Amino acid sequence: MHDLLDDYAHSNALRDTSPRLKLLLGLGAILLCVASAAPLAPLFIAVTMSLITVRLAKIPGRFYSSLLLIPFSFSLLSAAVVAFMHGGGDPLFAFSIFGISLGIREDGANLALLLIARTFGGMCSLFFIALTTPMIEIFSVLKFLGLPDFLVELSMLMYRYIFVFVDQAAMIHNAQVMRLGDAGVKNSLNSFAMLCSVLFLRSWEQGERLIVAMDARCYDGKLDLMEQAGKAEPRAIFAIIGYMVAVAAIAVLTRDIQLL
Amino acid sequence: MHIMEGFLPLQWCVFWFALSLPVVAYGAYKMSKMMKANREILPLLAVSGAFIFVLSSLKMPSVTGSCSHPTGTGMGAVLFGPWMTSVMSMIVLIYQAIFIAHGGLTTLGANTFSMGIAGPIVGYLVYKGSMKYGINMYIAVFLAALLADWSTYIVTSIQLALAFPAASGGVLASFEAFLAVFAITQIPLAIVEGAVTALMFKYIVQLRSDVLVKLDVASPSIINKLKEMSA
Repeated sequence: MHDLLDDYAHSNALRDTSPRLKLLLGLGAILLCVASAAPLAPLFIAVTMSLITVRLAKIPGRFYSSLLLIPFSFSLLSAAVVAFMHGGGDPLFAFSIFGISLGIREDGANLALLLIARTFGGMCSLFFIALTTPMIEIFSVLKFLGLPDFLVELSMLMYRYIFVFVDQAAMIHNAQVMRLGDAGVKNSLNSFAMLCSVLFLRSWEQGERLIVAMDARCYDGKLDLMEQAGKAEPRAIFAIIGYMVAVAAIAVLTRDIQLL
Repeated sequence: MHIMEGFLPLQWCVFWFALSLPVVAYGAYKMSKMMKANREILPLLAVSGAFIFVLSSLKMPSVTGSCSHPTGTGMGAVLFGPWMTSVMSMIVLIYQAIFIAHGGLTTLGANTFSMGIAGPIVGYLVYKGSMKYGINMYIAVFLAALLADWSTYIVTSIQLALAFPAASGGVLASFEAFLAVFAITQIPLAIVEGAVTALMFKYIVQLRSDVLVKLDVASPSIINKLKEMSA
């Protein structure tokens, strides 16, 4: 809860690289991952993206590996369903529970492995964007791409208040725990509901104060953004294009290679 | 119920984006019209969106012991209506992907459809329907949050089943399998979220019932009745 990925985005070693380039690399890798038909290209992306994030952006390795656990449960559970439900080919093994026979066939297993590889490739690319590019810079790119002003505005104000409310929620929670508000299921449910409602009311009041504050400063529906980060170096652009071409080549060349 | 980055094949990512974007665009259009009429809306929507994000990143006390997060979709729908909620959900989902690695960017369309469109629409209809038949507001809120969660989870299962149909039995068999696997966590979770949301409304009625009247969630007469009951 307290280690929002955004904290690292402001202090990593790639902070001053052009945000457009970083977004291009991350999104391009994600798309290649999703489009690839065999597990090798996504695995390659997962490994290289992790190396870029840990080596070049200097994100602590231990923190990064703890992040990789997040996609684990969902991808394993869903991939298991796919493995059991899908496929022809030779059965790898089968068993029966409650009179229903369950088996994994070759195609199903291959598809499940592909899904796990894609999820990890995609998540590693997403982590790259999340850990190297501060939200504000993503907004300036979105604005550049023509997202309506009021949506950018809304997202930026939301971004600001997320941190305020995270702090408040933590304080309320600490106060509740100190008064044994988490003793037993009934108590903890009640405390949680109280936390939510107080948080809602506080945020509402904060919003009412915000209106006054913004009016007092002649707010006219537009906050200007400055894109601070440096321009893209030609070297970096070529490196990224080279990387994309390499991944695409791997995806095309290995499209028939299955792990099983 | 977020679908993780990279899990859906490209064509399904595009398909769900194509379904959700028009709805979100219509929501954004309505939102911009409201903002022109009343400038106070923007800050209030912004803090509400931040609140939904924080709420959905909190760990809910859960019976099974696994850590779990509320979705806040039902609550959003009851407070702000389905159109607003769809826009805010999409923004919140981007934040969730980038801040806490829940969901992803290519699966954003699918996740917006299940959590920002299907869930809130069901929640909103259930809430308005129950209020029309004079059901107690807390029960209406409980039902709205519960059914919004369940429909989110059913839609997610449909999305996964469509992308990965079973060899024998096709989409339907696959749908049942996904439904069964996620039922273990989602059914109790939705009940807990429903109860928490209803309790939350109880506190809001006690402390700042004018907010609910302003958002057109309940008429003053209903609020007065609820206050008398608890007094």
